[in-house]
Amino acid sequence: MSTHGVPRVSGEPPKSEQDRAKEARKIREYKSLIDAVQNDDLTNETLTLTSRLLTWNPEYYSIWNVRRRIVCHLLKEMTTSTQAEGPSTYRSDTSTEALSDLISNDLKFQLPLLRKFPKCYWIWNYRLWLLEGPSGTLPKTNQQRLWEQELSLAGKMLSLDSRNFNGWGYRRKVIAALERLSNGSDDHEQWLTESEFEYTTKMINTNLSNFSAWHNRSVLIPRLLNERRADRQARKKMLEEELELLQRALWAGDNDSSLWFYHQNLMCTFDPQYAARSMAPDLSHHERQTYVKAEIEKVHEMLEGAEDCKWIYQSLIQLNMLHKNLSGDTCHAIGQIIQWVETLNKIDPLRSGRWNDLLQKLRPQ
Amino acid sequence: MSLVSGPGRGGQFQGQLPNELNLVIEKHVEYIQDLGTRQDELEYWLTEHLRLNGVYWGLTALHLLGRPDGLPRDATIDFVLSCQHENGGFGAAPGHDPHMLYTVSAIQILATVHALDALEADGRGGKEKVVQYIAGLQSHSTGSFAGDEWGEYDTRFLYGAFNALSLLRSLHAVDVAKAVSHIEACANFDGGYGISPGAESHSGQIFTCVGALAIAGRLDLVDKDRLGAWLSERQLSDGGLNGRPEKLEDVCYSWWVLSSLSMINRLHWIDGEKLTKFILNCQDQEKGGIADRPGDAVDVFHTHFGIAGLSLLGFPGLKPIDAV
Repeated sequence: MSTHGVPRVSGEPPKSEQDRAKEARKIREYKSLIDAVQNDDLTNETLTLTSRLLTWNPEYYSIWNVRRRIVCHLLKEMTTSTQAEGPSTYRSDTSTEALSDLISNDLKFQLPLLRKFPKCYWIWNYRLWLLEGPSGTLPKTNQQRLWEQELSLAGKMLSLDSRNFNGWGYRRKVIAALERLSNGSDDHEQWLTESEFEYTTKMINTNLSNFSAWHNRSVLIPRLLNERRADRQARKKMLEEELELLQRALWAGDNDSSLWFYHQNLMCTFDPQYAARSMAPDLSHHERQTYVKAEIEKVHEMLEGAEDCKWIYQSLIQLNMLHKNLSGDTCHAIGQIIQWVETLNKIDPLRSGRWNDLLQKLRPQ
Repeated sequence: MSLVSGPGRGGQFQGQLPNELNLVIEKHVEYIQDLGTRQDELEYWLTEHLRLNGVYWGLTALHLLGRPDGLPRDATIDFVLSCQHENGGFGAAPGHDPHMLYTVSAIQILATVHALDALEADGRGGKEKVVQYIAGLQSHSTGSFAGDEWGEYDTRFLYGAFNALSLLRSLHAVDVAKAVSHIEACANFDGGYGISPGAESHSGQIFTCVGALAIAGRLDLVDKDRLGAWLSERQLSDGGLNGRPEKLEDVCYSWWVLSSLSMINRLHWIDGEKLTKFILNCQDQEKGGIADRPGDAVDVFHTHFGIAGLSLLGFPGLKPIDAV
């Protein structure tokens, strides 16, 4: 929305006559630019006008559509003029060059806009449309080059705002496109999951609190293991490495909710309700119990000196409930769990409704 | 209806009268009614691409404030109809391209003022035409919905389609089961939902997915305790709600988070009193309107979502709102 987080001082000093006249002039200029763009002329000249208008207001979605229509039209013109030169299923060099120029100029035009309006859906969508649609008629190597540029753009955008979910979504789409291109023809399959996984490690090392990176990691790991054709042992190894990495992070920031949500995510591996979609779906019942027990001990150790950290209690409650379910022992630590919930009720009063519901569930009727 | 922000700012009186915070109903009504008169401001024109949404936000807020007649009914209906295209879809304003987001607002506005019949007038093709437009945007392969002919897919559009179609009593025109399975594919281990399969959970997307499931009668698919826990953690110490872990609070999440909690019967998992105070603190007490957080410029988007949130919290003097 246009006014998110805008500390505005407008309305404080009343506008002078001069300011009003200036604003009225601006409005006239803006409206006449709109009229000029909507002239039905699908030409390069109109394309330039849309650039001016979109630089002024990138949220004007219909103008991005005018631009789409112009690009489609110019593309068609290029194709017909090439066909006149002789029948061929391939684009001629001149037409490829013209199309390449059109696309790369368009991509370049959007860069400052993306920097200025990184959360504007319409810019990202137009860009994706340009790459998936019109650029799809270019030779494969050209396409590949374009998508590789996009990957570095996604990296740049995420280095400016590491939580930008438009940026993360775009990155996933770029990766899918690059994989599609390299896996289209021969049967030698090439995936980018390994390098994307490394990318999340890099992002986490820069800022532990980056939940977007932790989330992407949780999506990538099962894929990665499948691509590696990982056996049980390899899956356990990955799981243990993740547990260790997270444990170190938790010691550094036990109040960071991002880390605790990733912890909850990893614990799904031991929960029969969720395990099937996790990185190690085939752990034995006994293995799950052993992992959960070890985890309870580790989290419990963190409590010392951090008695006011609500996340530790929440995790202990979840883990003990899971252990209770796995072991079938109905009275396992129930008194202790109730005590922790009561502590939460005191140190986390915002959510006391939730803690009271839980107490009611736990206390024997 | 203008989407111009300001002129006022929310909460410039912090610490002065915290215990006497009231909802300045009359000021908000005036603020919304005046939005249409601000055509001498450049921003009025720069936000034209949101006009129909703006009418919906303003109108709904007025209804909740007990002033259903606050905007002229006939002029509102005429404006909505002037945004319709031949293919049945609606644009943000006359001359703007048709899109799901505005088509949904159009149907919501017409339903609110009991004027869905207006669609049947002279050669518009009736509600059937609108239903066809929406149904035509569903993907046969995934069940998801595009925003328009250019093919951007997002769970926002799926919810919008379900919402408008249910108001038109025409949900049968689309493949509900396929759409539901698409939503399931967007679910994460934290109980939340993302914008597409594999995307991070986000309060706004959770509202769209849970809302769509509610309309489809499939709330049984929601991991209610997990989702409720995640949503309740959105509340920060000042009472405000954020959209994702470790982000800033914002009045609009009062709606996305709260309505989702309400749909899964866990509204009491956050502190309603503290949230109420936070929203009231974001008001401009003098000129009306609500901002995203104290100190920022007010606008009709946050005014609507703030008031809708207060309504869901049962704030006295407001009409009750349906969470879906």
